[in-house]
Amino acid sequence: MSGIIDSSSIINSYIPVAVFLVVSLLMPPVTMLLVKLLSPRSKAAGKHSTYECGSEPLGDARIQFNVEYYLYAIAFVLFDIEVLFLYPWAVVYKGAGVDTMVAVVEMLIFIFVLLFGYVFLWKKGALKWLN
Amino acid sequence: MDVPDILFNPWFRSICGLGLIGAIFMGAMLTVWFERKLSGDIQSRIGPKYVGPFGIFQLVADAIKLLTKEDLIPAKADKLLFVSAPIALMGSVFLMLVAIPFGAIVLNGTEYPIAITDMDISILYIEAVSSIAILGSFMYAYSSNNKYSLLGAFRNFARMIGYEVPLGITIVSVAIMVGSLNLVEIAQAQNPIWFIFLQPIGFIVFFVAMMADMGRLPFDQNESEEELVAGWITEYSGMRFGLGFFAEYIHLILGSMLVVLLFLGGWNLPLFLTDITVLGVILPTVYFLLKVVLVILTIIMLRWAVPRFGIDQVVDMSWKKLLPLSLLNLGWAIVLGLYMGV
Repeated sequence: MSGIIDSSSIINSYIPVAVFLVVSLLMPPVTMLLVKLLSPRSKAAGKHSTYECGSEPLGDARIQFNVEYYLYAIAFVLFDIEVLFLYPWAVVYKGAGVDTMVAVVEMLIFIFVLLFGYVFLWKKGALKWLN
Repeated sequence: MDVPDILFNPWFRSICGLGLIGAIFMGAMLTVWFERKLSGDIQSRIGPKYVGPFGIFQLVADAIKLLTKEDLIPAKADKLLFVSAPIALMGSVFLMLVAIPFGAIVLNGTEYPIAITDMDISILYIEAVSSIAILGSFMYAYSSNNKYSLLGAFRNFARMIGYEVPLGITIVSVAIMVGSLNLVEIAQAQNPIWFIFLQPIGFIVFFVAMMADMGRLPFDQNESEEELVAGWITEYSGMRFGLGFFAEYIHLILGSMLVVLLFLGGWNLPLFLTDITVLGVILPTVYFLLKVVLVILTIIMLRWAVPRFGIDQVVDMSWKKLLPLSLLNLGWAIVLGLYMGV
């Protein structure tokens, strides 16, 4: 904390977050209400059809198709969680009661295990766009 | 001079903070005008000209136009998702706004950062809420039931899978140097040496990943107006389109602020000019905003200098170049952190 807000309770930091959450939930509907009051309305035929370069839309857009990057996506989940573990470590590794060298070596082992996995993925050919 | 206690009251701060929403909307409008004018200059056109001096009120006219346009919901769209998508996108940028410091004022040699709230984990919090924007733009696309939108949304996800990991690792590299996830403390730790000088590789990775996060050209594959009409926002018109558009520009401003706060010294000046900060009460804020404008200027000029990448190139580049570079930078940051003994 750097003395911006009353730090007697940790909740104090998050009261503005709650206020802004409520405002952000209200702001688009209020704007649309304003639009409803101001804007004209017409009942032209075909106005509500989906845009497809002027021709009649063919079928539905919600179809199953091949996601070419699913191998990336699986690797992404692993690496994103790696980053999550790094955050708390970055704050405490020099803190009181922590042996800094031990903490650094432990984290390096953790990173090298994942680095090994990363090289393995690359060599195995998982990191490429499927066609 | 004593600072009155009410200034630290969280409720008072939130009410005052609501004024900032207005300010950031003005900022977004100015950014749009700035981008159109600058794009015009770069392409030997004039750009906005007629509304006010140098066309500066063009965006006010545009906002009035958007307010008076009919609210259209396509018949095949998922109504609930269609209506709630702008809320998700706006909510994401509003929640980011809460935790970002906007500069500092100096009174009697004490530095008071200007921010609505202050939390120990602000950079982690901002990372989290800025990811809601991805969900918001997917809601935009999926609810439209339009093929172009869906393609745009899937490209958006592919891009996010690429940049999110290097972005997170560079943020951790900065946090290692400071030993804190608090943005105010990160900015204050850069007096007198900015982190761009200590971690140049980290800055490059962060800047590229942040451009991808903001969806600016050359990373706007989810929109790519030359091939996908307007990508994720194709079916939207009137004010619903305007809300998504504004959210994107606010994201641009806040992202540039993050670049300045993490790597360009926040409201500090480099080494040789640090003493000036005690002279002026609002000078640090002026420096901060000037730096933000410079970053936005760079991003806008990059738009016209670099062609758009293919989505496979983006994912390839993120995983095979940015990720190894960010890991290299993480190792360098650990060495620096041990050596500097902050």
